[in-house]
Amino acid sequence: MHRKLPLLICFALGTFMLVQFFVPHKASTALYEAILDWVQIIYAFSLLVGAMMLIKHHAVIASGRDAKERPFSILILMGITVMLVAGLFFGRGEGTVFHWLFQNVQAPMQATMFSLLSFFVASAAYRGFRARNSQAIFLLVAAIIVMLGRIPVGEIISSYIPKAADWILNVPSMAARRGIYIGIALGTIATSLRVILGIERTYLGGK
Amino acid sequence: MGQNDKNKMGIQGRHFIFILMAIVVAAPLIFRVGLPLRVTAEVRQVYGFLDRLPPHSAVIFSFDHETSTLPEMVPLAEALLRHCFRKNLKVFGMALLAEGAAVGDDNLRRIGSEYDKKYGEDYLFWGFRPQFTTAILALGERIDHEFPSDYTGQDIRSFPVMEGIENYKDIAAVITVGDGDIPVYWVNYAQARYGVKIIPAVTAVMATTMYPFLQSGQLVGLAAGLKGAAEYEMLIGKPGRAVKGMDAQSGAHIFVIILILVGNTVMIAGRRRKGR
Repeated sequence: MHRKLPLLICFALGTFMLVQFFVPHKASTALYEAILDWVQIIYAFSLLVGAMMLIKHHAVIASGRDAKERPFSILILMGITVMLVAGLFFGRGEGTVFHWLFQNVQAPMQATMFSLLSFFVASAAYRGFRARNSQAIFLLVAAIIVMLGRIPVGEIISSYIPKAADWILNVPSMAARRGIYIGIALGTIATSLRVILGIERTYLGGK
Repeated sequence: MGQNDKNKMGIQGRHFIFILMAIVVAAPLIFRVGLPLRVTAEVRQVYGFLDRLPPHSAVIFSFDHETSTLPEMVPLAEALLRHCFRKNLKVFGMALLAEGAAVGDDNLRRIGSEYDKKYGEDYLFWGFRPQFTTAILALGERIDHEFPSDYTGQDIRSFPVMEGIENYKDIAAVITVGDGDIPVYWVNYAQARYGVKIIPAVTAVMATTMYPFLQSGQLVGLAAGLKGAAEYEMLIGKPGRAVKGMDAQSGAHIFVIILILVGNTVMIAGRRRKGR
């Protein structure tokens, strides 16, 4: 029974959401809205569970003996506590501690981490982007044209470079994208049907 | 040459590249070059659409990004917000990623104050909602049901700007400022189901993801990356940090191309030496 009940709920709600799209009745719309509310409520609780698991995981490390990992876990726990207390008790708007910490600590740190990518891209471009075979040469030429075409210098060198870059993005790249999207859509439909009909049961856990 | 020496050489070479990259990016930011900029058709389409909207039309700005992409996202949001406020449009802000909430609220207030716009009268920030698929769908039914209160916790029906706003049928366009896949979900759920006009303002790497939807006519236009922001700044006649940043981006792109060419030259020369 403990497996049949979730399968039944999944079948009933899955079928309802499918049919509801074609039935714009008041009752079906009300039920549809209620389901949307419940999905968000469940999701919000899953966020809470995630946060609790993160705290638990780092609390274990922080209280352990691994001197190498301990400082990082303590720092994470301190960060969580400070942001929680600041946001819950002193507000989130402009001029608050939360806002100041977000703007001056969290945002610059994350932007810095992401910006470091440019250095690794430069290093990888030198060491890894090699014309070893004909496919690699195609990739290399396409990459150079698109890189030049997306900056003002490309236009200065030749007006054909931005046009060639647009062509690469709008024709071969787009064709590949469309193929991927059609594949994803068909895969999603197939998987959804398997879940609704109870064929795909891995989300229930176990074997 | 021993293995240790080889590693040392590698590390030194990498550091040299890092230093050069830092110089190439920083120098144009300090000494402005002012390279000419071509405005692309997709950015012009966004500008034309927003420019033709009658005053007091409602637009949603959804800040669907994290803080890691702020250097690209903020100039895009700023340029589009400036245009909307200048056109006296009603602007509603929201976020489908938690970090976007604080950024969005800050952007709206900062750019709103530049045009003497009042919170609650000319613009409003609804806040963050988790589970973006259901949030997008729920806005199509009733906005005040999905967001009963704004970011500051006040009843959204108490704000004059919400007058006559019920769901997507009262919204002229959704501008999704995103660094991931969420703009695609806006197309799949808001555009396909409710026929909402979608304007993606995305990072440069996400541009290729949006092109199929642009070609199929499911998007109004597309503003992508720092380049998209710079083009938009040119169109609204207010060149800002994106136009300035384009010089640095040009430098970085050229530097990467030079590195690719040098790397391949070294490889070919090495092969020839071995061949002899």
